[in-house]
Formats: sequence, structure tokens, C-alpha cells
Amino acid sequence: MGKGFCSLFKKDCRMLASGKFFLMALGFLVLYTAYVNLGYLRFMEMEPYQVYLYDPAGTQTAKSPLVQTVPSMEEMDAALLADANGVGLDASAGDVQVVLYKGAEHIDNHRADYALSLLRPSTSPAPEVLGTYTPEQKARREITCELLFFELAAVGFLGIAAVLFKEKGMGVIRLHAVLPLRKDLFLLSKLAVFLLSDLVFAVLLTLLNVGLADGLAVLPAVLLQTAILSLMMALVGMLCALLLKDFRQFTLAYLVIAIFAATPVFLSANTSVKFDWIGWHPFYHVYMGLKNAYFGAAISPVYYAGAVSAVILLFLAVQFVFHQEIAKEG
Amino acid sequence: MIEVKNLTFSYSKEKQALHGLDFTVEDGEIFGFLGPNGSGKSTTQKILTGILKGHGGKVSLFGQDISTPHGPDFFQKIGVLFEFPYLYANLSALDNLSYFASFYPKEQRRDVRELLEMLEFKPDFLKKPVSSYSKGMRQRVSMARALVGGPRLLFLDEPTSGLDPSGAVLFRRIIEEERKKGTTVFVTTHNMVDADLLCDRVAFIAGGNLVALDTPKRLKEKNSNHRVVIDYLYQGQRESKTIEAPELEAGIPFAHDEIISIHSQEPTLEDMFIQYTGRGLS
Repeated sequence: MGKGFCSLFKKDCRMLASGKFFLMALGFLVLYTAYVNLGYLRFMEMEPYQVYLYDPAGTQTAKSPLVQTVPSMEEMDAALLADANGVGLDASAGDVQVVLYKGAEHIDNHRADYALSLLRPSTSPAPEVLGTYTPEQKARREITCELLFFELAAVGFLGIAAVLFKEKGMGVIRLHAVLPLRKDLFLLSKLAVFLLSDLVFAVLLTLLNVGLADGLAVLPAVLLQTAILSLMMALVGMLCALLLKDFRQFTLAYLVIAIFAATPVFLSANTSVKFDWIGWHPFYHVYMGLKNAYFGAAISPVYYAGAVSAVILLFLAVQFVFHQEIAKEG
Repeated sequence: MIEVKNLTFSYSKEKQALHGLDFTVEDGEIFGFLGPNGSGKSTTQKILTGILKGHGGKVSLFGQDISTPHGPDFFQKIGVLFEFPYLYANLSALDNLSYFASFYPKEQRRDVRELLEMLEFKPDFLKKPVSSYSKGMRQRVSMARALVGGPRLLFLDEPTSGLDPSGAVLFRRIIEEERKKGTTVFVTTHNMVDADLLCDRVAFIAGGNLVALDTPKRLKEKNSNHRVVIDYLYQGQRESKTIEAPELEAGIPFAHDEIISIHSQEPTLEDMFIQYTGRGLS
């Protein structure tokens, strides 16, 4: 059995290598790392809104050093014209008036509140500190989590389906029906190859983008979540490849999964958009599991029980469809 | 080697594919299984190779009931050539065969290069990917794949499909040699020449029923009209006469100057098939 598994494993590795899968994964790793370090973090490091104050009577004595005083309203207008994200504060008439170029309402409110808070920085209540992440550490963990989820859910899923479609097209799946090996090994070897590949990818992506010390600290939990998601997506990919007739049909299924399954998860987890039903979406829990792993938060045992059950059910479904496929007409 | 008793199989309640087949295949026999498309021959072969489960009746291979769980040991004893040459197109002949051979015990495996040489495979293509092979070359590699595990029972589905006449002759010779080594061969084919030249016995299947089973020679003899056609010259004219074969025992029973040819009116195997089933093979 062990020898048969090794033969299958080697063959699957060769299939993936000849299909340039490993090269593609390496390319994605480079691309993601470049995006995180050269693009995303720089964007996140953007300067806060500039605040300009016109206060001819000098009434704002407790203002923060972040506030820039301008000598006239004309100069404030000129500053805001040059920096449309900036916020102006006009204290010439006693009460402070906020002056800004209009954008999205909730952003404008945020800009105004921020500018006003700089006039009395000492009165702002000290926040309760839950963690010691710097904004960069937090941003690195968040974006690495998102990229890893995308890689596993979209790219890995596509990879395993492509390999199976290739084998299906060549008819070689049926050959394995008459070979002296346990038929499930054919599935298990593929799962093992993709799982290993995904784990290596997760290790490299995490260490390169979260950092060596921080990355090593979260790695065990991240690898566990990666294994769960990798197995689930590989099994869904197998199921689609075995059930669907050709790659064109698969492309449609891929779009459905990518758009209707993954998009609401990203929106709910990372933006202010909230869906009441998102708690019923299995991908949401898997994504949150990965996010919690990156931030060292505790994960419920109920989630693990659900994830293991889902993997077992998916495997049984794939096994059933696989046995039907190998018995098909030649 | 193979014992089939009252074999039935249904894909659904309305679609019964096999209606109680009975036949045996002896050790070292080449057994032909002939039938038109949709007659049930692929279903039968899949049941015999253990791919399709849920049949009725009794099927034994190597003295063991096929319904009882059978693991890798069973598949170590059989070799299967499918109708189409299924191979990994991105791998070479050598890589394909080494891969498939790796599932068999070492002592049972046949040498891959020797097999390909025996099958007159072009040596230049040994390391080239299968995607660059002609259909005949793929068929040769597929045959090597079926033989690489040293099977005791060989299932061949259209073995000479895609081969030129000399390739077909080579394959028939190889099948004969395998039989001489003691391998039992179960051939499923449309090719009447293969069936006639190779098989010790043939079974005709139509609509899921076995309609005839005998040696090709006896099947033809049983259905012969025992007549001969004689072409001859008499007084400078070429003439032809059909007479009953026994009439020849006392010599040519009519006046003639020279006999040109004598043809028996024995039917072909295909004639027999059409007679038994009322359908052509294709």
C-alpha cells in the first residue's frame, strides 16, 4: 500500500510540475509578497488627514501639534484646494467651524471628528489596550490572511480540478480501476500533494509577509487552518471535476463559487457591509478561523467539529463519484 | 478460470443489460466475446474485471466468487487492454510503463524495454511524450501496459484496433504466445478476422443474451449448406455449377474439360452472427 501511494504521489507531482502548477504557485508567492511590501503597506502608511486652523484670536490653546495654523482664510482655502483630503477649522467667529471638500458622508464625519479631536487631545479618553500590534503588524497579518485565503480558495481549487480534468480527458482514471491498488489512494495522493503544496505556500507567505518572529508565533495555528481549507477546497475541486463534463462547465462553477461564495465572506469580514445570513455561510467560518489564527485568537471546538465533519462528508461524496467515474464506458 | 452462471445486471429498474448469461472459460483458452454496440459485452467485461458491482447470478474467477471483496491480489492476476489507448499523454512510453509496473510485485513484473521491443515499438520514441505518438504506437504501449504485470488472465477489448495489417498480425502472434505461456485470454471484438484466427471458442451476445457459443469452425460448419461452387471449362466455354458436397465423393458428377476452381459455400463468422442475432456487428 505504501509503495502504491508513493508511485501515485510521484506521478501527481510530475503532473503538477508539467502543468506548471508549482511555478505558478511560486509566481503568486512573489506577486503577493511584492504587493504586500511594496504596495499595500505603503498605502496603509498614508499620512493622516492634514488639519488647518484659522484662529486669529488664538482661542485654541490646547491644540495638538498636528494642527497647522494658517494666517488667513485665503491661505486656508489655498491649502484645502491643494490637499482636498485636508480639513479646515475656522475659529475666527468664536465657535469652531469645520471646512472641507465634500466626499462620502461617513468619511466626512470621520474627518471632521478627527480634526475637532485634535483641538482638545488631552480630553480624549485613553483607549483600553487589547493588543500590542503596531498598525503595520496588524496590516501585515490582515492582508496575508486575505491573500492566503484567496490562494487556497481560488487558485488551489482551480489547480486540482485542472489536473483531474486532464486525467479524465486522457481516460487514465479508468486504468486505475484495474490496477492492484486501493482505489482511494488515487484520491488520497492528490489530496496529499495539494495539502503539502498549500502548507509550504502558507509557511513561506506567512514568514515573508508577517515577519519571521511574528510569523513563527502564529504558524502552528495558521497551518492547521490552512490544512482545513486546503482539504475542503481540494475535495470541492475534485467533486466538480468528476461531476462536470468539461472544463467549460467547470469555469462556470468556478465563477459561481468565486463570486457568490467568496465575495460575501470578504465583504462581511473586512468591511462595514453586514449580511444577516453570513453566519450560515460555511466559508465565513473558515475565513474567520484563518483570521483568528493570524491574530492568535481562540477558535471554538464547535468550529473544528464542523470542519472535520465537512471534510469527511466531502471525501465520502468524492469517493462515491470517483467510483462511478471509473466504472463508466470506455 | 472464468465461470459465469445466470449472470444478470440492471443499470436501472427499466434497463436490464444482461439476462442470465452462462459460460465458462478454461485455463489457457482464448475466448472471443462478440456482440454489437449496446449488446452487453462491455458490461460483462466490467463485471468480470471487478469494476462493476451489483450483478445477479454467480461469477467466479480463479475459483473465487467475484462478489466477495477482492483487493489488490485479484488485480495482480489480471491485465486489461481497453478499447482506447488510455495513457498519460505528457509522459513517455517508458515513464508510463514504469509507473503502471510499479503497482505489481517485483518478481511478477516484466521488463518494460523487452515488452516494447517485442511489440516492435520504435526505439526513437521511447523517451518522447505519448502525445507525439501515432494511434498504432499508443496501442502498442497500451498492450505493453496490459502485459507488464505478467497477468494470468488477459482481457483484451478490440486489441487490433488502430493497427495496420502487419501490426494486427504481430498482435495476434503475441496473443498466441501469451496463451502458450498459460495465460487465459478473454477477447472482446468486432473484428471477425481476429475472432476467427485467434479464438478457441466464441460467444455471440445480443440484447444481453448469449445466443451462441462454440468454436468458430463448428459454428460455421453447423450452419453450412454443404454446397460447393465449381468453375470449369467445357468445350471452350467457362461455366459454373453448384452441387451438394457429398456428391463429390464419387468424383466430379458432370462433363468437363478442365476444373478452374472449387469454392465451398461455408458461411463466414459474420454471416453466423447475423443469422443468430438478426443484426450486424457494427
